[in-house]
Amino acid sequence: MTQNPEMVNLSYLSETEKDFILQVLQRDEELRKAEDRRIRRLKNELLDIRRKGAKRGSQRYSDRTCARCQQNVGRLLPKMNTCRSCNHLVCKDCRMETSTGGWKCNVCIKEAELKKSTGDWFYDQRVNRFANRLGSDLVRISLRRKPPAPGNKRETTAQTLLEYSQINEQKARKGQKSPQERPKGTGGVTGSPDLRDQRSDTESTEQMSISSYKMDSKRSTPTLSRRNSAEKMSTSQDGRKIYGPSGAKVDTLTVPVRSRDHHSDSEGEPRLGHRSGGSADESDAIFKKNPRRLLKPSDYSKSVIDLRPEEKPQETHMMGDRSKSVPGLNAEMDEEDEDIDNLVEIHRMTTARSSLRSGTSTSTLGSMMSIYSEAGDFGNVIVTGEIMFSMKYDGKTQILSVVVKECRNLAYADDVKHRSNPYVKSYLLPEKSRQGKRKTTIKRNTVNPLYGETLQYIVPESTLHTRTLQLSVWHHDRFGRNTFLGEVNVPLNSWNFDVVMDECLPLHGKGTAEASTYKGELVVSLKYIPPSKSTGGSERRKTKTDETGELQVWIKEAKNLTAVKPGGTSDSFVKGYLLPIKSRNTKRKTPVMKKSLNPHYNHTFVYNGIKPEDLQNTCLELTVWDREPLSSNDFLGGVRLGPGTGVYNGQPVDWMDSTGEELSLWTKMRQYPGSWAEGSIQLRPSMAKSK
Amino acid sequence: MTDGDYDYLIKLLALGDSGVGKTTFLYRYTDNKFNPKFITTVGIDFREKRVIYNNAGPGATQGKSFKVHLQLWDTAGQERFRSLTTAFFRDAMGFLLMFDLTSQQSFLNVRNWMSQLQANAYCENPDIVLIGNKADLSDQREVNERQAKELADKYGIPYFETSAATGQNVEKSVDTLLDLIMKRMEQCVDKTQVPDAVNGGNSGKLDEAKAGGRKCAC
Repeated sequence: MTQNPEMVNLSYLSETEKDFILQVLQRDEELRKAEDRRIRRLKNELLDIRRKGAKRGSQRYSDRTCARCQQNVGRLLPKMNTCRSCNHLVCKDCRMETSTGGWKCNVCIKEAELKKSTGDWFYDQRVNRFANRLGSDLVRISLRRKPPAPGNKRETTAQTLLEYSQINEQKARKGQKSPQERPKGTGGVTGSPDLRDQRSDTESTEQMSISSYKMDSKRSTPTLSRRNSAEKMSTSQDGRKIYGPSGAKVDTLTVPVRSRDHHSDSEGEPRLGHRSGGSADESDAIFKKNPRRLLKPSDYSKSVIDLRPEEKPQETHMMGDRSKSVPGLNAEMDEEDEDIDNLVEIHRMTTARSSLRSGTSTSTLGSMMSIYSEAGDFGNVIVTGEIMFSMKYDGKTQILSVVVKECRNLAYADDVKHRSNPYVKSYLLPEKSRQGKRKTTIKRNTVNPLYGETLQYIVPESTLHTRTLQLSVWHHDRFGRNTFLGEVNVPLNSWNFDVVMDECLPLHGKGTAEASTYKGELVVSLKYIPPSKSTGGSERRKTKTDETGELQVWIKEAKNLTAVKPGGTSDSFVKGYLLPIKSRNTKRKTPVMKKSLNPHYNHTFVYNGIKPEDLQNTCLELTVWDREPLSSNDFLGGVRLGPGTGVYNGQPVDWMDSTGEELSLWTKMRQYPGSWAEGSIQLRPSMAKSK
Repeated sequence: MTDGDYDYLIKLLALGDSGVGKTTFLYRYTDNKFNPKFITTVGIDFREKRVIYNNAGPGATQGKSFKVHLQLWDTAGQERFRSLTTAFFRDAMGFLLMFDLTSQQSFLNVRNWMSQLQANAYCENPDIVLIGNKADLSDQREVNERQAKELADKYGIPYFETSAATGQNVEKSVDTLLDLIMKRMEQCVDKTQVPDAVNGGNSGKLDEAKAGGRKCAC
């Protein structure tokens, strides 16, 4: 918090040179925005496929059903094989050939494809490289909290430079105008505070950029006028003029490559904070300056608890609780930090769902449980039909208009009389307050209502992409309770606003929205230090660790978390359990990272007394929570890292349900004892079993 | 304008001494035009091009084609921009390391550029193509082909003699680099997705399952 950000001093650049470079960076930003949108779209697609029928862990883990389509394949298993990546039995229809001649199940294929098409193969490698480089003794460093957080792995130099130049400019505006700027700037309007507020919330690149653009236009500013001047100077996009350094006033464009003090900074700062706070590790490596600032005792934060004494006796006892793997469901007394109600609700929803599922063929799950169960709070109508609507966004007025056209084939709320009086209600999630509610009129006695009504929201462009439009259809009952007839959830981050088109989506039951959204990622590094055979003696380490072994869990950062706090941020922390034990003994927590959707925790959990064979019989559950001091914490997502075998000590259990990246990270860790295995893992929207 | 309608975004970066023809080379590649004027690049710049990549892999799935959006970063060769340009190395997936066939000095500096790359790129052995440009100016040639080839072999990278003026080998060299990157990408994903059998024993079940899967997959 106290150190100055490292700077790449670019003061030697002339004014025109700077303008030119800024222009290039802005072009790059355009490209990056498009790329980010594309990546979001892809990740949502993967979730879609996954949820269509991933068998997780032990949930009805029959040898005779395919893990993907969940079709029963019969006794002879002629078509079933184990996918090499995820270890699940998969039928012939649910696999695809790989370029290397083998095959994998379609979820693993999609994951691999995603890794390629999002460029993660590259960014992961880059992160690893520079992380390793830093650490001559990374082992121990990792136990401490390094002052600079390792960056958002996708961050590019161009991005950093651009952001800083914008910041600098803003600063210059806010404070006294520098003499160089005076002739250019038209007005000294500073960014309004609320605008800045929004910016500090927005995390994803596209929002960032949008908001910064808005800033620009709002202020009619140096950026714009400079851009113009730069354009005038360049003969065309292609042929460029030479900008001599001569004569140009030398202004300082200092570009801090790292800033780790943003948290404490003034209001205007947080926007750059989390992004740039980012690339510390990498930029460290690049700008090789000041390599020793790593270990300040005050920054250490670690949680080490020796597990051994309690481990054995507790195992069997705790087993019973495994059926609910939602953290907090066990209702430990010390667990003041979870929203139990919320979790119970999730749990109830899922149990309801799965109980239903056991009866029906789950291949229809594609439409995601269109059947809503008795257990719900919304009546027991079987959801049918679809809704047709269109959406457009006016960037000038910041108005999002949703035109609800019609619904078709709705369910009858009153089965006996065959009546429904449907209306459509909307929310712009995550906000679900009364002010955020919009309704259409009620159409009497029809299951094919025509509305043609417009519901409007005023949303700043910068936060548009964090929102999800929820349209739910209800039967209006004049005397009793209204009955739920189905809903759709439309994440706006993957909506194409360029074309206004009628969209027709099938309605589904409650609670499925969560399963379908991308909740962000958690970047984790795992290391297992096996016990050394020679007891004590030659090794310098403590004999304790030597005898058994140690599991180190380095929680690096989370990305694109859901915003739950007003203003679009979250104050998050990560909690870890080493299943099957879910008690204080295995509980670890990181500190709370305030106001960030891309928090850098940089905190290590250490579990001692882990024998190599334990790794086959344990599962690391990491959950991300929003800290809510005056009420219960909000669940933001979680992962389970383990062997994904579905069994524990020969018994089927639901929490051994790791798949894909979760599984491969665990495997990688076991494969290379003593070295870090890092992965960026998508958060599950719910920790309930068998999503 | 980009619309996100592509399968891969691949970022390449051209580097080398000032005046070897990086900008002109890229201009030839993206626009198929030649600009004989020397315009020094201010710091950094980039160009874009959309290409179709055909995966001619060994597997059965050959002939699959992808839309690849190339972002070609152009860097200033001048020393004064060095700290800026090297900062961009880490963001590129592959490199066009260029020298001027008519300048012995630019060739000698290839070694320096290589070590810069090794220090600042995303990994220690990134995909690189060595390019000797201005092949059309044969009467002014100072670097012979064998010399350059040897150096490239030493680094284990492909070598091309190109001419932005005539277009000779320009496309070929970029295509080669793209191919290298796509192959590496494939390998990266394969490695992480299919870890080999877990060693360290104690995982009988997992190993068995894996072995079974492997057998059948073949």
